[in-house]
Amino acid sequence: MNLKYEPKKIFDVSKSQEMFKRALNVMPAGIYGHLGPSEGCMIPVQSYPLYMSRAEGAYVYDIDGNRIIDYMCAYGPNFLGYNDPDVDAAAAEQRKKGDCTTLVSPISIDFAEELVSTINMADWAFFAKNGGDITQFSVMIARAYTHRKKIVLTKGYYHGVAPWMQKLGYSGVTEEDLANNLYIDWNAPEQFEALCKKYPGQIAAFIATPYMHGNFLDNMIPVPGYWQKIRKICDDNGIVLIFDDVRAGFRVNIKGTDFEYGIKADLSCFCKALANGYNISAICGAKKLLNATADIAYTGSYWFSAVPMAAGIATLKKAKAVNAVEENIKKGKKLTDGLAEVAKMNGFDLKVTGEPAMFYLRLANDYPSTILHQEWVAECVKRGVFFTSHHNHFISYALSDADIQYTWEVADEAYKVIRKNHPDYEGYIK
Amino acid sequence: MDMVTKAKINLFAVLRNLQDLCTMDPVAADMIKNENISVQFKVPNVGIGTLRFADGKCTFVRGKGPASLKLWFTSPEHFNTMIDGGKTIPIFINVFKVGFLLNTFMKLADRMAYFLKPPADKKAELLKDPEYFKINTILTAYTAFNAMAEIANSDKIGKACAYRMFDGVILMEIKGGPSLNITVKDHLLSVGVGKVKLPTATMTFNSMEFAHKLLNGEASTFGGMGSGDFGLSGAVALLEQMGKLLNLVSVYLG
Repeated sequence: MNLKYEPKKIFDVSKSQEMFKRALNVMPAGIYGHLGPSEGCMIPVQSYPLYMSRAEGAYVYDIDGNRIIDYMCAYGPNFLGYNDPDVDAAAAEQRKKGDCTTLVSPISIDFAEELVSTINMADWAFFAKNGGDITQFSVMIARAYTHRKKIVLTKGYYHGVAPWMQKLGYSGVTEEDLANNLYIDWNAPEQFEALCKKYPGQIAAFIATPYMHGNFLDNMIPVPGYWQKIRKICDDNGIVLIFDDVRAGFRVNIKGTDFEYGIKADLSCFCKALANGYNISAICGAKKLLNATADIAYTGSYWFSAVPMAAGIATLKKAKAVNAVEENIKKGKKLTDGLAEVAKMNGFDLKVTGEPAMFYLRLANDYPSTILHQEWVAECVKRGVFFTSHHNHFISYALSDADIQYTWEVADEAYKVIRKNHPDYEGYIK
Repeated sequence: MDMVTKAKINLFAVLRNLQDLCTMDPVAADMIKNENISVQFKVPNVGIGTLRFADGKCTFVRGKGPASLKLWFTSPEHFNTMIDGGKTIPIFINVFKVGFLLNTFMKLADRMAYFLKPPADKKAELLKDPEYFKINTILTAYTAFNAMAEIANSDKIGKACAYRMFDGVILMEIKGGPSLNITVKDHLLSVGVGKVKLPTATMTFNSMEFAHKLLNGEASTFGGMGSGDFGLSGAVALLEQMGKLLNLVSVYLG
């Protein structure tokens, strides 16, 4: 690793900050949700660019004119690269024909067929807009099919923001919203088995992400045999197995993350990478659930929009042609191996967890406070490398070796800043 | 609303404010300058709190201690009624000291209400006085954070939030004002006054003005974070749950 470099420029983000003040007057929290400074854990917010002027490939350009290597990829949708020309061309072609219309475009069938031929477990596909639309629907399907109420979730889960997906004490959520939720620890099939005995014939579904990629915690890969045990318990007890592959879908295996881990889910939920940023989500299902699904009233104004479907087809075709999933895994491994090495050279212990194309970072030295890690992340952002301190990251196919090299250099400089700013760092660095 | 939790808040968050009131407010300090008495409040399923007035100071102690006047309440509701200003009589031990309760203590309680619950038609005018503004804000902050700890330890939803919190210390700081440290240990919360050297997480109000706005529901935490009026650092998972606990304070204290 060659780390001889000129000092990096510290970005001016004053236009973003001014723009944000304007937003605060007319929009709740200015930027609400995970892209905003609060839920996005931008600490301190003054270090962060907030508004983009354009995006291309692995970069987002802010309104102050800074080029930023974006390791959040819009929290997942940027899969091949922002404004990928092939995907955009397919979308533009469909836009000429029509998008949101009374008569449905045949391209919906093309996209469903593309998914069925790509996703190992899929016999059919249903489209919506966001991940939460389809995780919600997956539970409805399971309840319709089993005529049962309860669902089992793994602690630390995230399946969206519908009330039942949130937790007791969260704003706008009642105890009744959560009344049918049962919880087990990750990697603990014996707890699932115990619940099946405690609630015989009452559990409709087991819903989980393929591996634990919750926030604020080291991401956990399933232990060998975990999913096979869960699959068997579901089969033995007539429970629908739902894979929330919204985030990990197309970042671990193009055939679905359940395929990677050696099983077939009954329902798999996809969004994020599915159409490289065009707004569409999909739920794929096993044949046994087709009729139950067909009988549920569940729809939305834009769910048959044809442009995102064209983008989705183009995304999957290109991903297969260039082996995007495998390449992104390699890029993620190369990047994070280097980051850990840079940290070590500076006397820090950077812990990398999760699947390589969705890596999670934390500094082991100051855990659980993460104060130093947050400062390191902020120093990286100020130099044009967008990391977060609370969430897994994402790799896009557009990320180049030069970007990785630049990232290592920024990481090195940022670690040096942290050491300089914390002469008392021994208190944190054990 | 859980009456036991409300009584705990009234005893360990609201009543304890008398010690800070007597430190900050010269009028309150003058009321107790010649007093030498300890008053114990005992509430079933809630606990015991003792206010000690001596040497011109007021000290609140959680739990038993020597007390010259003991007030026993029959239930949490009984105690809550008294704190809310209702006409109720506790059981006294040492009737000879009741004069303090009916005189000085009532005046102190009125003085605290003057700062914490000003009449709506006079509030804006009162808050223009910088000294009043400061005492109002600090007492509100102390009440809110102490109430938050009681909610975390007692209320059903509060306990659910506390269950998600790991061990650590959260430093709450109002720039130009006081600091509190909130310790989480085995999912139980306790509040102390002052800074700590290596907090697990920090919550900083960058001005007394923003602290006042936020604590009075006139600003949002998310908006404050964005505008730089309010800062967080460290273990966000702890702060996230603390935010939810603080949201519950208004359920009890309105």
